[in-house]
Amino acid sequence: MSNKVVPITIIAGFLGTGKTSLLNHLLAHAEGRRLTALVNDFGALNIDSELIAAQNGNQISLANGCVCCSIGDDLTLALAQVMNQTPRPDHILIEASGVADPARIAGFAQVDRELRLDGIITLVDALAHQRHANDPHLADNYQRQIAAGHFLLLSKTDLASAAQTHSVSQQLAAQKPTTPIAIIEHGVFDAKVLLGLNETGLLPAQAEIKHDLRQWSAHMTAPVPRLDLLNSLSTLAPHLLRAKAVLHDAEGAYVLHYAGGQSSVSPFDASPSGHFVLIGKPDMPDDASLEQLLTPQAPLPAHRQTEARQ
Amino acid sequence: MSLIFAAKSIITMNPSQARATHMAVRDGHILAVGDASHIAQWRQAWGDMPIDESLSDKILMPGFVEGHTHMMEGLFWNYDYVGYYDREGPDGNVIAGLKSIDDVVARLSQINQQRDDKTQPLIAWGFDPIFFDGRRMNTADLDKVSTDCPVIVLHASLHILNTNSLVIEQAGVTPGDNNEAVRRDENGHPSGEFLGQLGMYMAMRTTGLDLLGAAGSAQTLINFANVARQTGVTTATDLANPVPVEAVQTMRDTVSQDSFPMRLVVAFQGGGADPQAGIARIQELQSQQTDKLRFSLVKFVADGSIQGFSARLKFPGYFNGADNGLWYIEPDRLKALISAYHAAGIQIHIHTNGDECTDVALDAIEAALRENPWPDHRHTLQHCQMANRAQFKRMAKLGVGVNLFSNHLYYWGDAHINITMGPERAARLDDAGGALAENVPVAIHSDAPVTALAPLFTAWCAVNRVSSKGVKLGGETEKLTVEQALYAITMGAAYSLHMDHEIGSLEVGKRADVAILEADPLQVEAAHLKDIAVYGTILGGKVHVNKRGAK
Repeated sequence: MSNKVVPITIIAGFLGTGKTSLLNHLLAHAEGRRLTALVNDFGALNIDSELIAAQNGNQISLANGCVCCSIGDDLTLALAQVMNQTPRPDHILIEASGVADPARIAGFAQVDRELRLDGIITLVDALAHQRHANDPHLADNYQRQIAAGHFLLLSKTDLASAAQTHSVSQQLAAQKPTTPIAIIEHGVFDAKVLLGLNETGLLPAQAEIKHDLRQWSAHMTAPVPRLDLLNSLSTLAPHLLRAKAVLHDAEGAYVLHYAGGQSSVSPFDASPSGHFVLIGKPDMPDDASLEQLLTPQAPLPAHRQTEARQ
Repeated sequence: MSLIFAAKSIITMNPSQARATHMAVRDGHILAVGDASHIAQWRQAWGDMPIDESLSDKILMPGFVEGHTHMMEGLFWNYDYVGYYDREGPDGNVIAGLKSIDDVVARLSQINQQRDDKTQPLIAWGFDPIFFDGRRMNTADLDKVSTDCPVIVLHASLHILNTNSLVIEQAGVTPGDNNEAVRRDENGHPSGEFLGQLGMYMAMRTTGLDLLGAAGSAQTLINFANVARQTGVTTATDLANPVPVEAVQTMRDTVSQDSFPMRLVVAFQGGGADPQAGIARIQELQSQQTDKLRFSLVKFVADGSIQGFSARLKFPGYFNGADNGLWYIEPDRLKALISAYHAAGIQIHIHTNGDECTDVALDAIEAALRENPWPDHRHTLQHCQMANRAQFKRMAKLGVGVNLFSNHLYYWGDAHINITMGPERAARLDDAGGALAENVPVAIHSDAPVTALAPLFTAWCAVNRVSSKGVKLGGETEKLTVEQALYAITMGAAYSLHMDHEIGSLEVGKRADVAILEADPLQVEAAHLKDIAVYGTILGGKVHVNKRGAK
C-alpha cells in the first residue's frame, strides 16, 4: 500500500483565527486515521505530553499514530519528505501560514498522482473580519484565502455579537454562494466533514452525527454515471458539506469525494460497494428530495442532461 | 611567520593610502603596506622577511566580500553543469559553456551514455534560456537524452526547471487553478517546463532525491568555498540557514581546515514563531565563533521575488496587471520579530524585494528603534530592488543599509522593463547610485546560486546597468562608478556584516585577505570589468592559486 493516494487538506486563515485549535482537535479525533500534520510551529500546538509517543528534531509522533512535522522554511521539502517516506500517512494536513495563498499550496496535488486535494478549509475570524478585509497590506491576501476555501469556518463567534456573526456570514455568502459556511466553536468541528468518511464510506452510527448536521445514505447497485452524479451534487451547494460514493458506471468502478464544493472522482480498483453517503447542513433538502435527485431510478431533468460535460 | 608580497600594484581601498606595491603579512594580519623602501624600514625593526615575488605582475585588491549568497551554490556541483558560459568547477576544471539547446541535449546524452546505471535520475543545472531567444526547451528535447530515467534540468534562476516526458507521466500532471506554474504547449499538454516550488516538488518526488536537503554537507561547503574563491571572494555569506545542531559541527570542522579558503558568515534563519528561542540559539552560536566562521546576524524573508510575481508592490503593482505578490511573514509578525531581535542586540537582514515590503520593514525598524535606540545596528535590507529615493532617505535616517541585487539588471532587466515593472520603475531598479546619493551604505550581490557568483561581474552590472539583451536600465543617476562598485564589493559588504574593521581594505592591522587579479580594474574599460581574470586569493596570508592561474 505504499503507493496509495493520500488525501491532503489545507487549513488556511490569518494569524489568530484558530488554525491551531482546529489542528489540535483533528489530531485528537483522528478516529483511526494516521494523520500527518505539517505545522508552522510545534510550540503553539501545545500537545498534551501524555499523548506524545516520541519526539525527534522536527517531528513529534503521537500515541494514536498521528505525526506532526515542522515545516521549517520550506513546505516543498517538508511535503516531499513525507511523501517519499514509507509507510505513507492516511491523510496529510497542512497548516498554511497566515499569509499563504492556499491555492498555490493545493498545486502540489496537481503534479503528484499520489496526492489528492481533499479540500481547503479557510478559517474566518468573525470578530476581526472587517479589519482583515480592510487591512492596507493584507486585504488582497485575505480575499485570496476566502476565494480558495472549500469550507469557510467562522471562528470567534462566541466573542462577536449575533448581528456581527450574521453580517459576516451574509457577506461571505454573497461573495461565495456555493461554498458552505459554518460556525466553528473553540476549534471543534466534525472530523468526518473536514477529513472525509472512512474507507467503507459508511458511518458507524447515525448517532455520531451532531444534531446540527444531517446525514443521508443509500446503497446503490445500479450504475450511476459519474458526471450526472457530479452535476446533481453541485445543485446541493452550499448545503452539502461532504459526500463519498463508491459506485460504478459504464466506464467502471469509481470513488467520488466531495468536500465543500471540491470534488474528485478516481477509478476504484475493487468491486464497488455501492455505498453513498452525504453529510449536509440542516437546510439540506429532505431525504425524499435527495432520493429523487440522486438515485438512478429518477430520470435526470433535461436541463441537467444537457449540462453534463463529456 | 612573516612574508612580504610584491605586486605590480595594490588597490588598498584605504582612502589615506590608495595605492601601494608591497604588503607585509604577519600571523595572518597585515603588518605593513607601502612601496619597497617603506617596507625596508619595517624590516629594520621587525627582522628580515622573505619577499614573495610570484605576484609581481599582478594587481592586488582586498579580498571580495559577498554579502548575499547561499551555501546551496555548492550543492549543485554534485550534478552536471549545462550553462551558457564556461564555468570553473570547485576542482578548478573548466566546463565548457553550451551555446544551444541541441548542445545541452548532446552533452546530457553523452553523460547518460557513460553512466553505468542508466535508470537513475539525470539531473543538470545552470541552463539559461535567456540566451536562446524565442526557443524554449521542451519534453521532446529531453526525451532525446533518455526515456528510461527522469531527466531534470534546473534553470540558472532555480525558479524554473525542465523535465522529460517520463517525469510528467510519473507525476501524473493534471490541469489546475494555478496553471501559470505548469507551462503548456499549443495543444494544452505540459511542455516540460515547470515554475517555482511546484517544479521543485515534482522533481523531488519523481526522483526520490532531497534535492535541497543535502545543503549542509561538508562537500557542499567545500564546493561553495572553492567556487567563490575562484572569483576572488575571501568572505561569503550563507543567507540564511536554520543552523540545526547537527550541522554546526560539520561547519566548524570543515571551515577550520587550512585548505578551506574562505571566511563564512552564516545568517540564522529567523522566521520561526518564537524569537526568544532564535535569540538564544544565535547567542549560543556566537559564543563558538572563530575567525573563519561567524554567526553574526539573523535574516527574515518578508516577501517573494519580482520575476515570480510574489514580491509585494505598492500602487500600481505589476506592469502586466498580475495580482500583488505574497507576504512570507505577516507584517505584524515581522514587526514583532524585528522588535525582539533588535532588543537583543542582534543585527537583522531582511529580504524585501517589492517596495510595499520595503515600507513595512522600515516601519518595523523605526518602531524597534523608538523602543530601543541603537545607533550602529546596521540592519540591512537585502535585494530591496524597487526602493525609491524617499525610501533611501528614510533608510539613511534610520541607519539602515542596503545590499542591492545588481545581477538582476542583467538577468531579468528585460523582463522588468516589459513585464513586471514597466520602463519607469525598471530604470531605477537596484538604484545603487540613488542609494549612495542619499547616503545609504551600499553593498551589491549575486544571491548565488540564483545568479552567477562573481563580484567583478556584479560590479560590472552595477556600473553598466545593461540587460542580457543589451538594453540600458537607467543611466548616470542610477549607476555606480567603477571606484564605487569596487568599494561596494569590498568595504561596502564588509560594513553590512559589521566586519569593516577586520576586512574589506588592505591596511595595517587588518586581515591579509586579498583578491589577486590579472588586470587593474581601475585601468580597464568599464565595459570589460567582468572580463578581468582572477589569478587566486590570499586568505590570512595563505595564497590559493586558481587552476587556470597556475598553468
